[in-house]
Formats: sequence, C-alpha cells, structure tokens
Amino acid sequence: MEGNENSLSGIWKDWRLHAIVLGIVVVTELIGTFKIPVGPGVILLLPMLYALVIGLGFYFTPVVKEKQSKNAEPIIVLGVSLLLAKIGVIIGPSLPEVIAAGPALLLQELGNLGTILIALPVAIWLGLKREAVGMTHSIGREPNVGLIMDKFGINSPEGRGVMAMYIFGTVFGAVFLGLISGLLATLTPLSPLSFAMASGVGSGSMMAAASGSLIAAFPELESQIVAFSGASNLLSLSTGLWVSIFIGLPLTEKIYARMTRNREGY
Amino acid sequence: MLKNIQEWVLLLGIFGITALIGNWAGYDILPLAAIPGMITLIVICLAGFILKEVIPVNFPSIAYISIIGVIVSMPWFPGSEKVVEWTSKVELLALATPILAYAGIAIGRSWTDFVKLGWKTIVVATLVMLGTFLGSAVIAELILRVQGII
Repeated sequence: MEGNENSLSGIWKDWRLHAIVLGIVVVTELIGTFKIPVGPGVILLLPMLYALVIGLGFYFTPVVKEKQSKNAEPIIVLGVSLLLAKIGVIIGPSLPEVIAAGPALLLQELGNLGTILIALPVAIWLGLKREAVGMTHSIGREPNVGLIMDKFGINSPEGRGVMAMYIFGTVFGAVFLGLISGLLATLTPLSPLSFAMASGVGSGSMMAAASGSLIAAFPELESQIVAFSGASNLLSLSTGLWVSIFIGLPLTEKIYARMTRNREGY
Repeated sequence: MLKNIQEWVLLLGIFGITALIGNWAGYDILPLAAIPGMITLIVICLAGFILKEVIPVNFPSIAYISIIGVIVSMPWFPGSEKVVEWTSKVELLALATPILAYAGIAIGRSWTDFVKLGWKTIVVATLVMLGTFLGSAVIAELILRVQGII
C-alpha cells in the first residue's frame, strides 16, 4: 500500500536481497512440485509456495535485515508486472476464446459475494461485532481497505476488521489459495476452468498461486487456465471496488443488521 | 523520468535474470533460449510504466501492461508470432517463484500483526477467502455450462 515509485531508487543495489532471492529460487525450483493425494483429490506443493515460506523464514534470521524486507516490497510490484505481461501474451492469441467466455467472466465477479453468505454468519455467530462488516464485505485487498477507511475511519471497528483481513490475505492468501485451488479442482465436479476464473481475485500473488496449482494439476489446459485467470484478475482489479461499493458493503450491512437485530433486542 | 526508467530497467533486469535461472533449474529451459522472451516481457512492462507516466489519467500501469501484452500477441499484430514464440520459453511459474520469494521476505514485517489476529479472526478470514473462491467458481461453472463451453 505504501509503495510509491520514488521508493525504487537504489533498490537494485541491495545485492544481499537479490542474492538471497536467487538462492531461494534455485533451491525451490530444483526441489520441484510435490503432489499429496487427498482421497480422490490432490494438494499441490509448488516451488513458489516453498519460496514464500523460506523467504518468510529468512526474515527471522540475521541474514535478512529490516532494509531487505522494506526493499523487497516494491520489487513485488515489478515482478507482478512481468507476470501480467506474460499473461497478456498468452491471452492475445486466445482472445476469441476469452471473449466467448465473457459472460461467465463478468458474472463470476459477483462470486466475491459468496464471502458474505458464508463468512458473515459465522463471524456473527462467533461473536464478532462491527469488525465483521469490515472483514467479510470483500476479500480485503487495497481498494477495499481504502473504501472502508474512507467510510468508517482507520480506528473504527470496521477499519480494524478490514485490516485484519488485509494482513491475513497478505501473509496467508497465496499459500491458502495455492493449496485449496488444486485440491478443490481435483476433488469437486467443477471444471478447472471455473476455478481458473475464480483465481483472479485481484491480487497478483494469490492469482499466481491459485492458477499455478491448477496448471500443475491440469497441464494440458495451461493456456486456457492462464487466459481465464488473467482476464478475471484484470476484471477484479477494475470492477472489484465497484462491486464492493454498490453491492458488497450494502448487502453486508443489511445481513448484519438482520442477524444482530434479535440479539441486541432492538 | 529518465532516472525512473533506469531504475525500472535495472530492477526488471535483476528480476529477469533470477527468473531465467529459475526457469532453467525448474523447467530445463536454457537461459540463452529464454532471453529474447524475457527481454520482450521487460519491454512490455517498460512501455506500460512509461504510458502511465505520460498519459495524465489515473489508470494503473499493470492495466496498460496487460493490454499491451494482449495487443502485441494478437495474430494481426506484426511480429506477434515471434512475441508468442519467444515468450513461450519463459514459464509462468518461473516468474511466480521469485515474486513469492520477495513477498515472503517482505511479509515478515506483517508477521507480528498476523500472530495477533486471534483464532476467531483466522476462522472468519479463511471462510472469506474460501467463500470468494468457491462463489466465483460456482457462478463461472453455471454460466460456462449454459453457454456450452465446458
């Protein structure tokens, strides 16, 4: 969130950081992908997931200092840019296919509302109060954090809720989606292409992890998976905020009000 | 602006080299074979960054980059075959691994906040992610089936 362009200056000189990352990349890529069968499904452990965990582990050793951790942040944006360029050149040749799937791509954006139906009742049942509104109105990425801060303020319960979701997503989002996407796609009758569309949640690293698992599980569908998840991610980035403003947040408020009415005795 | 371009080129270059070595270690594609593809991707990124600086509209650079990538790889675009051929040597997953390595190092600073979240928050946050993911997949499945695509 804090990354602005000026903060890039001099980061290329942080050789310690780049050397650590290179080391992590070589080791994790050499280890390769592991498949853990779970009943009829498969959990895929991809090099990128080990890379995240090892990188995090290094943070707690003297090898990585505060400076490296700060410098790493803007580089993520550059890496995601390269990833999106790569996704772009995969979408290009299959654009007619992507356009043919346009209705599904557009409407699945509303799937984000699934979080309100599943997570909000549980949050209320667990005794969370207004925090629940901030947490469950969306997946809680940067635009959503901005929306809640704007509407309720940083120190409001809603603000704390959305920040909790943001932190959870930042630390655990990619790992979580990477683990469940391959598993769900091999376990449920839903098509991997539907999960590909679902992978585009509006965060580059989460999309990479979720669609990466799908590619590893269904290599023959690689270009379609990439095209659909990339297009969906682009749509999420551009429409996600509007879905939150006009549907997500009002719906969360409504369900919250209805579910808490009896308890608070209005 | 020129200073910015220099920083972008250096950082994209460093990132690219790391990704090419990963591309070799994990997918057996020799760096030499993948260099044209990586340069193509870097040029697309640079074009996107520059467009964002030049065009005075609040439109994110990643959107420019995606759109440029799509355009230069469409069959009618001159040289698109080369773009597709070269970039096919750069594995998507090889680009993702260094991103998540940098991300892992960066999120260390969020870790103390993360462990303070409490179990209720973790349960709800997990359901939020699951809800979004499954919700989108179910809707996509329904429409794709109605359309007869799957």
